[in-house]
Amino acid sequence: MVLINATERSFNDGTYDYDLAVIGGGSGGLACAKEAVNLGAKVAVLDYVTPSPQGTKWGLGGTCVNVGCIPKKLMHQAAILGESIHEAVAYGWEVPSIEQVKINWSSLTEAVQNHIKSVNWVTRVDLREKKIEYINGLGEFKDPHTLVATLKNGNKKELTAKNILIAVGGRPHYPDIPGAKEYCITSDDIFSLSHPPGKTLVVGAGYIGLECAGFLNSLGFPATVLVRSVPLRGFDQQMAGLVISEMQEKGVVFQHKCIPLSVEKLESGQLKARWLNTETQQQSEDVFDTVLLATGRYALTEQLNLKAAGVTTLDDHGKVVSSDESTNVPHIFAVGDVLSARPELTPVAIHAGRLLARRMLGGGKQHMDYDNVATTVFTPLEYGCVGLSEETALERYGADNIEVYHAYYKPTEFFIPQKNIRNCYLKAVVRREAPCQVLGLHFVGPAAGEVIQGFAAAIKCGLTMEQLMNTVGIHPTVAEEFTRLNITKRSGKDPNPASCCS
Amino acid sequence: MIGRSTTSLIMRSPFYLKPSFYFRNLSVSAPKNDIIKIQSTDDFKDKVINSKVPVVVDFFATWCNPCRLLTPRLESIISENKGKVILAKVDIDEQSDLALDYEVSSVPVLVAIKNGKVQQRMVGLQDTDKLRKWIEQFASEDSEVKIKA
Repeated sequence: MVLINATERSFNDGTYDYDLAVIGGGSGGLACAKEAVNLGAKVAVLDYVTPSPQGTKWGLGGTCVNVGCIPKKLMHQAAILGESIHEAVAYGWEVPSIEQVKINWSSLTEAVQNHIKSVNWVTRVDLREKKIEYINGLGEFKDPHTLVATLKNGNKKELTAKNILIAVGGRPHYPDIPGAKEYCITSDDIFSLSHPPGKTLVVGAGYIGLECAGFLNSLGFPATVLVRSVPLRGFDQQMAGLVISEMQEKGVVFQHKCIPLSVEKLESGQLKARWLNTETQQQSEDVFDTVLLATGRYALTEQLNLKAAGVTTLDDHGKVVSSDESTNVPHIFAVGDVLSARPELTPVAIHAGRLLARRMLGGGKQHMDYDNVATTVFTPLEYGCVGLSEETALERYGADNIEVYHAYYKPTEFFIPQKNIRNCYLKAVVRREAPCQVLGLHFVGPAAGEVIQGFAAAIKCGLTMEQLMNTVGIHPTVAEEFTRLNITKRSGKDPNPASCCS
Repeated sequence: MIGRSTTSLIMRSPFYLKPSFYFRNLSVSAPKNDIIKIQSTDDFKDKVINSKVPVVVDFFATWCNPCRLLTPRLESIISENKGKVILAKVDIDEQSDLALDYEVSSVPVLVAIKNGKVQQRMVGLQDTDKLRKWIEQFASEDSEVKIKA
């Protein structure tokens, strides 16, 4: 019997420079590249950041590290800390001149950017240690097995690979209105903005728009949000409503059913934005210091010259349509935000990339399960969820077959500073038919991400309502509220907690 | 091999007080040719590898707070040594390949080079006394010393 050591196995018969070339050094591409190397493959990663219209550029690692999850979580944390300073007074801390507490924007952005740069470096070192060739160039197809990388200095570098992974991700979409690209910023720019953003208009109420409006407002920059249709489309709408309501109570202004018309620069340097209410047809305008566009993201497939590769499985928005990360060309694959109708989440891209490498090079059979992926919206009061929204469950199973357990709750630590508890709410969407499987869990409250992660594992294991009710809570936490759920919406009983002295 | 744990320890340690300006004012400024900034790989070869004088290479990053704390300590010790040892500063973001070739996975890293050969390495922020001892010992040793693994 001959044992093949995976790390010494060679896939390449010398026809190609690499076993795998990855276009895009973000979470998905890098995860796939590293796993491929672990399986003994020779791998190259191409990564290049085209500057934003405002000129912002960044290093290796993709959206999450540079202009996504990481900086947004840090700014969210900065916002929470600011609130905590005020709460601290209620807990007995003597804070001198509390009314003068304010954020130093340049210190914040410097700290955030320094952290990002350290992650860029660690990523670079990681690639070197794993002997992955890193090419800082913009990649495109020349033919199905050949890529051309345009380097910073304009030079071209050609390479061939047996397998090619498209992991180019996406960039913010600019609405087609006057002034958009000239004067507006996006999430690409906000985390390294050289000056305090001031009064800000956020166009779009998806999770990126709401998160940005949330932390800006809490940092002391008044924020207004234009909502085109509904906030957090695709998420459970009852929960989205609570998120919005909390933001409103904290001072964020929402303009519902409004689309932007134009942004013009005034002599003062400020920006005059005009928008239209699509229901009343009424036009409005206001002056802002910053206009941040958060109107969706598009996949960067156009610049790949996919025609030369023969890849045709694209949707109307240029995203790759695929059930298993493959394309119509057998040796060309795609992971991450570039995939059509998949959650645009870093851990999804990482997991899919890793499993893909194992199937591509290691004889793996396991496919990515895109269902029951937990996620969290880092608005001032966070929203974490896993599984189906109430709407989707009702649609899929019918109202007669779904039970929703719900409750408002009071976080213990909210009492002393008398924080708003009106939007602290959670629910479980459950099948009525035995064994009453839990289909979705939703939680609005502090540390929602930390709360929901473990429950996501339980849902993966087929959690039933009985099992959830038989789980003993940790007291006093907010996560334990899930174990205490017992009121169904159907019963019509009051989901508010019994009140004592508050 | 410097693992991630070290990286996180050093790069993320909470030295955000920015006292570098404070220290810089106190530090004795050294003769300029004692402290050089490396501009390219060739520059490194010329000024470090081919140097007749022992060189301490300071691999640093602009985003690394421990590096900022180390700089004034290093510079004052170098100036104390009056030309017996040179300090060559390498910004790892500007000279990435150089830094990667010297296996700089976390910063700051000090590499002591004599006659083109790496004699010693020191990773992370050091206090002035330890730093002084380390540099003086390295600068004064006449013979080719044992390479510290």
